[in-house]
Amino acid sequence: MVLARVKGTVVSTHKSPSMEGLRLLLLEKIDAATLKGKADYVVAIDSVGANAGEIVFYVTGSSARMTDTTKGKPSDATIIAIVDVIEKDGALMYEKSAGTEGGGRA
Amino acid sequence: MNLARVRGTVVATLRSDKIEGAKWLLVEECDQRGAGKGEYLVALDMVNANRGQLVLLAQGSSCRWSFRTEDRPMDTLVVAIVDHIDQAGATVYKETGNG
Repeated sequence: MVLARVKGTVVSTHKSPSMEGLRLLLLEKIDAATLKGKADYVVAIDSVGANAGEIVFYVTGSSARMTDTTKGKPSDATIIAIVDVIEKDGALMYEKSAGTEGGGRA
Repeated sequence: MNLARVRGTVVATLRSDKIEGAKWLLVEECDQRGAGKGEYLVALDMVNANRGQLVLLAQGSSCRWSFRTEDRPMDTLVVAIVDHIDQAGATVYKETGNG
């Protein structure tokens, strides 16, 4: 699974009927060492109700069709979790509720 | 199968994978000597791996060929902890026990 930050939404009116009702989010992949964006963007289908600014992780390939939201849908990137905490090398890198980012507080 | 090192953990309560008791590891992709490449992934832990250990990743649809992950939206698993790696007759990596 890949870590990314929700940067916005993608809207399409003219689309395959199988895509109807799906929420498309614009994600920017992040570097877990710094939590900074890598300027590498991907569009993913939301299955958890993620909002702008949140860090999420998503699955790609055929696994992206395995959520209740995307079963039988043509998705190859699906957000499956909203991240609460990232711990790296024993230090707290990110905590959603506290809003600390890139701190490295132990 | 790619090599990675366990660098930490990721906690997420709002999820759609429906895997009970899931533990998520933050892993950094590594070369065959265990040197990090600076690329990180979130992986489901299947083997109780600890921080610092070199592990083997299963990626893609193969991840769903396990009891816990069958038909789950899962594309990265930690499936083994590496003890040592031999390259052309020489040991290029050996688990030291302290990461």
